[in-house]
Amino acid sequence: MSQDRGDHEVQPSLTRRIPYSTMRLVVLFGAFLIILVNPFINYFLHNNFLQGWYQSIGIGSLWFVSPLEGLESLLITKAVYMPSIIGMLIPLTIAFLLGRVFCSWICPVTFILELFDRFRKFITKKKYLHNKLVVAKRVLWFTLIAELVLSMVIGAPLFVFLSPPGLVGREIMMLVFFRTLALEGVLLLLIIVLELVTRRFFCRSFCPLGALLAWVGQKRKLRVVLIAENCIHCDICTKTCPMGLIPEIDEGCSAYCWNCGGCVDNCPTEALEFRWSPSRYPRVTPPSQIVTNQ
Amino acid sequence: MKRRSLLTALLSCASLFTIYSNRAQAKALESPVATNRLRPPGSVPEEIFPAKCIRCGRCVEVCPYRSIRMLDIRNGVHAGTPLIEVEHVPCYLCMKCVDVCPTGSLTRVSQEDTRMGLALVDKFSCAAWIGTTLCRTCYDKCPFPEKAIKLDQLKPVVETDHCTGCGLCTNACPVTLESGRKAINIEPIYSRDKVTL
Repeated sequence: MSQDRGDHEVQPSLTRRIPYSTMRLVVLFGAFLIILVNPFINYFLHNNFLQGWYQSIGIGSLWFVSPLEGLESLLITKAVYMPSIIGMLIPLTIAFLLGRVFCSWICPVTFILELFDRFRKFITKKKYLHNKLVVAKRVLWFTLIAELVLSMVIGAPLFVFLSPPGLVGREIMMLVFFRTLALEGVLLLLIIVLELVTRRFFCRSFCPLGALLAWVGQKRKLRVVLIAENCIHCDICTKTCPMGLIPEIDEGCSAYCWNCGGCVDNCPTEALEFRWSPSRYPRVTPPSQIVTNQ
Repeated sequence: MKRRSLLTALLSCASLFTIYSNRAQAKALESPVATNRLRPPGSVPEEIFPAKCIRCGRCVEVCPYRSIRMLDIRNGVHAGTPLIEVEHVPCYLCMKCVDVCPTGSLTRVSQEDTRMGLALVDKFSCAAWIGTTLCRTCYDKCPFPEKAIKLDQLKPVVETDHCTGCGLCTNACPVTLESGRKAINIEPIYSRDKVTL
């Protein structure tokens, strides 16, 4: 036991040098830069090495297809097209191992909302936002099922043209190529306005893509684990969590966590940390039990 | 707001939308493909095109002639799908869009086997047919001369076996009617095919 505890003390000092939030903002910015610059390169330089945005992106001959879009296309046409299945492999593998990291580390909507968050903190000088409207987390699954079933009934996929991450890319492309904006971009404005009510209101319960990735990543390897003996129940992690989870009751291991690392950054006692494959370590025992065991 | 009231509000909004938008619904599902409004080359029939296409816009980005436009929500569920308006910019059959489509909405075909539509000469407005001038612009512009468009006694005639529906003739046609149509138009007859896969 004492050895284990020694490990915990060493590990955080190594990982804390750069906060996850900073790293995440850099990655988000890079991911946003790709879809921002890409239309310009295609339009003005006629260089097609990179095409598309986060619905399907082509880097040379390496193609990515967003899993939900691919799944919708597959379910509605009832036909399998191998390039699209293979394009879905890498995103699905990442979701399977790391969880919903696309949402928190790549999605351009998250980048916009993250900037919005910082802007709001700067204006209001308040560190935390009180979430005014909280919807049950389970609604996420309902969204996914409703979206898929509705699309299959109508016979046309719905998320493909209403997907917020895709819309950001499409609006940028429309602006560069046609000097106009697509009307459905209103949805993005709506999401930003809802951010005033509740943090990540859309991402939490109403994003079907997030739901699919969360479902795939239920048994993920990378999780935020609570080291119960370090926890002083200060509630800071709950306040910082953009998804409204309570890491203190191990919700960092639930399907809803998107591994953004906000709670890990902010924990004053280093009671939360990222662990690879925590299934090998059973849930860390509370201090009271450790005493009785010894 | 309580959860129940929120859900009720959402549900009532949805049901109101379905009731009031019966007419809009039909329009929302209506295909934008029409005369001179074509899908890019190699596209699957319109029956499954909107279902297969994931609106990634890669075909639009790679098109070097900017022939492919992207539709928006005014076209209902077809928002984000590619469309070529041949009287603005026709398709030059470079087949770049076909190569990047990740979903198989655009399937690989050779230039000659492309069937985006069929050119139809409007014999009542074509200058050569009504006899105002000896116009042969479409014949000159056709990428498959003497195959897709032939001259029959100096009047243009389209050969169904060779016309790809690229729209170069429509784009070049000097006659524009009040309705915006030309004297030679591309009819997307193949997009109405049933899926044979």
